[in-house]
Amino acid sequence: MLFGKECRRILTSLTFIIYCFVVGLFFVSQFIDENKGDPYIPDEKISEDHDIIIDSAVDCLANEYLANNYICYPLGFYKSVRLKEDDSQKVEECLLEITGLTHDELMDIRDSGEHYYVEHGIQETMYYEIGELPVSDTITYERFCELMGQVDDILGGGSKYKVDDLVANYSYVPMTQEDREAIISDLYDKDRVVGGYARLFSDYVGIDLGIMPVFVAAALVSADRRKRVSDLIYTRKISSLKLIFTRYTALVTMMFIPVILCMISADIHLIRYFDFNDLALYKMFTLPTFWLLPQLMIVTAAAMIVTEVFSSGIAILFQFAWWFYSIMADGARLSGSISKFDLVCRHNTVFGREEFMLSKNDFIFNRIFYFIAAIVITAITAYIYELKRGGRFHGIRLFGKNSIFRHKA
Amino acid sequence: MVSGCLAKIVFSDTRHNYLLHYLAALGVVLLTPVIFGVSRLDERLAAQPLEFFLPLMGAILMPAVFMPEQNESIRDVVRSKKTPYPGVCFMRLLCGAVFITVLTGAFVLYMKSMDSVVTMRLFAGSLASTFALGAAGFFASAVSDNVIVGYMTAVIYYICNFGLKDKLGVFFLFSMTTGSFDEKKWLCILSVVLIAAGFVLRRLFRER
Amino acid sequence: MEKKIVIKNVSKFYGRKQALFDIDLTIGQGMFGLLGRNGAGKTTLMKTLAALHRKKGGEITVCGVPIEKAKEIRAMTGYLPQDFSMYPSMKADEALDYLGALSGIPKAERKKRVTSLLRKVNLIEHRHKKVRELSGGMKRRLGIAQALIHDPTVLIVDEPTAGLDPEERIRFRNLLCEVAEERIVILSTHIVGDIEATCENIAIMDEGKILWKGTVEQLIENARGHIFTSNVEKRFMPQIKKEYIVTGMLSQNDYTTVRIVSDSEPDLPNTVLTEPDLEGAYMYCLHSSGCDVRGGEE
Repeated sequence: MLFGKECRRILTSLTFIIYCFVVGLFFVSQFIDENKGDPYIPDEKISEDHDIIIDSAVDCLANEYLANNYICYPLGFYKSVRLKEDDSQKVEECLLEITGLTHDELMDIRDSGEHYYVEHGIQETMYYEIGELPVSDTITYERFCELMGQVDDILGGGSKYKVDDLVANYSYVPMTQEDREAIISDLYDKDRVVGGYARLFSDYVGIDLGIMPVFVAAALVSADRRKRVSDLIYTRKISSLKLIFTRYTALVTMMFIPVILCMISADIHLIRYFDFNDLALYKMFTLPTFWLLPQLMIVTAAAMIVTEVFSSGIAILFQFAWWFYSIMADGARLSGSISKFDLVCRHNTVFGREEFMLSKNDFIFNRIFYFIAAIVITAITAYIYELKRGGRFHGIRLFGKNSIFRHKA
Repeated sequence: MVSGCLAKIVFSDTRHNYLLHYLAALGVVLLTPVIFGVSRLDERLAAQPLEFFLPLMGAILMPAVFMPEQNESIRDVVRSKKTPYPGVCFMRLLCGAVFITVLTGAFVLYMKSMDSVVTMRLFAGSLASTFALGAAGFFASAVSDNVIVGYMTAVIYYICNFGLKDKLGVFFLFSMTTGSFDEKKWLCILSVVLIAAGFVLRRLFRER
Repeated sequence: MEKKIVIKNVSKFYGRKQALFDIDLTIGQGMFGLLGRNGAGKTTLMKTLAALHRKKGGEITVCGVPIEKAKEIRAMTGYLPQDFSMYPSMKADEALDYLGALSGIPKAERKKRVTSLLRKVNLIEHRHKKVRELSGGMKRRLGIAQALIHDPTVLIVDEPTAGLDPEERIRFRNLLCEVAEERIVILSTHIVGDIEATCENIAIMDEGKILWKGTVEQLIENARGHIFTSNVEKRFMPQIKKEYIVTGMLSQNDYTTVRIVSDSEPDLPNTVLTEPDLEGAYMYCLHSSGCDVRGGEE
């Protein structure tokens, strides 16, 4: 059977062996080694209280505005932004609308307080001690989010005012003893322990699955060209749709096997540290499969189509860029904000069920979207393969007709 | 080498086999100021773009050294010529290294012009990380005779630096951002060893 | 210095598998043919001579230079692999120029040689075509041009005519003969016709060993008395193919005239002893060396 043969071909490929090794290594070094004993309980929690969010955000914005120094993390790395006069003016308008102050009132507040210096790099920035600013009575949370979005756009993204992150940035409140007890009981009652660890597991393994499959898939797809058997395969009876889907299924199946083995190991690991009766072991299979399989599928599908159209090198470059962006775009935030189109969904904590549930709908949309997208992309790949087979398409050469890239599969 | 030959080899090779790689490496440099702050940074913050991002140039250029001759027939033709094939590969490596050094140098000067504290040791440290990352990919592609495996190795090494961090010990690529420079000399040694071992092992196993 | 290649007791292993067994051969100026079935070890021997493979034991000298001095050997050897390829995006003249540079030819000289060789191999009109746009025959001609770019003393061509149309094949053979006037040309092939048309001296290889070496005439002489023709009914053909080595068949109505290689006269109707041809002689050589060359059920 073709499926079996493709699986065997993948099994013996060097890229797949390395893939298995990396998945295993990351699982052991991140999940197993870091989770021995009681899990770490954070000191703060998200409150989701709109008043708290608006209060904290507006103070932060006012501070940065008056100093004209905005600290951004566009891809997780430090970047300080200074705005020109007209952009600064726009930010001020937003600030005034939220606070309900006039320009003069704001300047009075600025001048009445002391100022102090903060070192950013080698630069000392003057900040004003302005205390807490008022919030306009007429401002709604929706309008506030809209204004924050405008500010984030003016700053070029990655600022502290990114709408999706407002809740996570500004609604943290210290945990009380009751809160602590509540999240522990959530872990035991709602998550049956394994659920919490399953999210952490998915978080870690998801990082690998955002990039590693591209190598296995690109190597398999480009092997035909590299070993010059494309024409031999083109002339076989099998339909393009069947061939591509068989290869695709074989790739996804084979690459998911090490993940399943890790799930089993994770369960065994938990049995060692927790009372067996507290554990719902099946949760280590259900959530991570829903979390990781669509991701594996989309990465594999993208790798296949880009390799068919361009080359394996471009596929790797593309996937690296997508993965890097996805990992870094949320900056230092490792949990609490899964958005609709994140490739790698992060939730780097055992607790925080509630936090996770906040983005539950987006998360479900995200995974179903990628699941369907992967299948559609694979179907398109089959169509492209069919075109190549019929000599109607020869792949795209970057930089025009005389480009050099096509042969580099 | 007869004069003119070297220039011809380098020129043709770059134009036909590596143009896109060089453009991609240039892309990395051009993208850096978009992702990272480059102005008014102290030494530690200035190390961020130099360590986190510029080393990707090494990962792009160095594993691809053996790529044009992955097709065995081409390799046989090239190997049957008087200029030793490892010499051609070494020259590619050297061109890549020069290109990387020039771009890194230009970027460092640019950061300096933006009032950041970029010192000679930051420049050297950035190059050490770039070469170490590239050498890892180079070694893997030399031994496996598969460029994809080379890229894969470089990417894995890169990811390990985020995941395992200082567990990597002296092979940690991002040490300057933590204020340590000792690792850099080890990275230089690692680069030299991996490149030499890549050539030797390839000769032993792949070009018998 | 005498133009000859001396191969003494050469062995070669791929891992544990032995590919060449104690090869002994002396090759002088002119065309030398290496004949053998697919997988006989011809390419391995050729690559060893081109210093692309390292031998395990024995000794090879090319015009007095030991094969271990790879750089010197490569300077005097031109090699055309069985399946010639070049960077597909390069134009024909550019590819030649690049390979000339790899051979260490100065720029001015390279320019002259590239033009003259492209003319010689009839590619001058196609010099601006990319390698990927050349036909199989053109590519092979570009291959021979690149092998000659540094005016080598020894030219090694591995199965150069496989896959070429008859016209291209004849043109290629003539080109080789022309080139062989002042060089040692080693040609490996499994197509007997190529050898017949071009080589005086030949060696036959099988399973990594030299089965026979000498001139074409000697090989033919060797087979004298062992080549027969019979006129048999078509229906007996499967049986005949199973029992005898059939080198040719011509069908007419219900009868087939078959050419048979045999130690003794076959017990078939209308059998006559015939003048041996090179193909028959080659088959007889393989057969007499113990190789199974019968057509079987085909």
